[in-house]
Amino acid sequence: MRLLFAKYRHVFNVGLQSNIVYRWNFALRAIFSLVHLVFVFILWSAAYRGETEIGGFSLAQTLTYFVTLLVLQFFIGAFSEDYEISEEIRSGLINQFLTKPINYFAYRFTIFIAARLVSGLLALVPLLLALPLIGPYLTFPDEAWRLIVGLPAIFMSAMIQFTIAYIFGLLTFWFLEIQSFVILSMTIETLLGGQIFPLDLLPDTIYRISQFLPYYYQMYFPAAIITGRIDYASATQGLFIQAFWVMALLVIAQFLWQRGLRQHTAVGG
Amino acid sequence: MLNYLKIWLASMRYSVVRSMMFRGDFIMWSLVELFWMGVSVAAIAVIYQHTDSIAGWSQYEMLLLIGTSMLIQRLLMGMFWSNLFEMGRNIRTGNFDFFLAQPGHPLFMVSTRKIDLDSLMNTVVALAIVVFSVRQLGLEPSLADLAIYALFVACGLIISYAIVLLLASVSFWTIGTRGVEGGYFTLYEFSRLPKQAFSGAANVVFVWILPMVVMSNAPARTLISGLSLGDTLWMLSSTLIWLGLGIGVFRRGLKRYSSASS
Repeated sequence: MRLLFAKYRHVFNVGLQSNIVYRWNFALRAIFSLVHLVFVFILWSAAYRGETEIGGFSLAQTLTYFVTLLVLQFFIGAFSEDYEISEEIRSGLINQFLTKPINYFAYRFTIFIAARLVSGLLALVPLLLALPLIGPYLTFPDEAWRLIVGLPAIFMSAMIQFTIAYIFGLLTFWFLEIQSFVILSMTIETLLGGQIFPLDLLPDTIYRISQFLPYYYQMYFPAAIITGRIDYASATQGLFIQAFWVMALLVIAQFLWQRGLRQHTAVGG
Repeated sequence: MLNYLKIWLASMRYSVVRSMMFRGDFIMWSLVELFWMGVSVAAIAVIYQHTDSIAGWSQYEMLLLIGTSMLIQRLLMGMFWSNLFEMGRNIRTGNFDFFLAQPGHPLFMVSTRKIDLDSLMNTVVALAIVVFSVRQLGLEPSLADLAIYALFVACGLIISYAIVLLLASVSFWTIGTRGVEGGYFTLYEFSRLPKQAFSGAANVVFVWILPMVVMSNAPARTLISGLSLGDTLWMLSSTLIWLGLGIGVFRRGLKRYSSASS
């Protein structure tokens, strides 16, 4: 057990170091996100003109939701994991993992955690600088249960984000090019994950259906818990559906991995 | 001049043949773009479930604005985006030499190397959104209005081209600026907002200094409420200014270019 821990601790360290190299890319991305936040502020401020509430929430609550989403994005969102995995399969780098006592999923997930730690902390810097401007709009509910339920929700969201990216990466075993798949699924994730608007603004039936899809648990769910958009009952109930999706995606990933390896021929050496 | 047209036509033919060779890819990418456009339309539909106006614009006025914004962007993506994006990469790798050796102005050769058929196909969808909104609003634009609309969209395309050229030309000076071109998309998002939504510092930056907002608002406004002289002057002059800026920076960069060692 201790050996296992030591092994992945090294992986984690390597992940940290190699991602600190990309600090300028993350910084650039964070700046773009901040500009996007300006867009969100202007759009929603204009939509709230003449209304005090939209879907039962004030302008400040809605803006807080989008700020939370941005922070979560950098801490748990999958960025380019799918492409990296795809590249490792295509180039044959993956072969070295087949002969070593290391689990490829666990290896990639450890690196993912390290990478998000770096990108999340880096994204906080421009956000803290903008805090004097954003601060007055931020309003979080203060119930303690939101943190207790929110933390596991965040962790499981990270797992869902990563596992979906991992599954897309594994598609490389069958398809040469995965980019169009990834972007196609990204549009669905953007919409049904709540990036464009809080999902609770959807018509009731569609909102209900969305709660059974994995996208709901990728980003909207933890953000909605933290910013007070869903109540205790739906939050705890959501945790179970989220756990189900984590398991289901892990099973699919494992299945594809075993099938893929059968398909895989290691070329060269 | 005729010669350049011939070259452009030849690259178009080449691109079409290429797309047809990778048909599955072509269909996938067309779908991708269609989906992205669907996301924007869905966002509008959902927001207007809860409010009647965004900065004084009704739902279908807003849809017309978004359709116009998409139209300009699809045209840019179809004709110039990947060419300019690759230019940045080629400058970094030194492959840019290849364009300098071609019989034609380097800027022309770089910009017209290929077209993206899937984006061009989706201009039809964007146009359909525009036509649909116009009909929903019960507008009957005159022929002159339509001509001005087309002119403004063309101006928007030229301005977008100039800005991406400007961003891609940064590669002449710095090697490590991967992804700067992507900044265009972040800024272009603002073209989906009505001018009236902006106030204060945001108004100065996005409406007065940067051209994105006026670029989509001016053509949409022309269809909704007829031609405005102020918009016309603004569009024409900012087209000239941004194109001048883009070409100017590209030229200075070109002088600096000394290939990359290999």
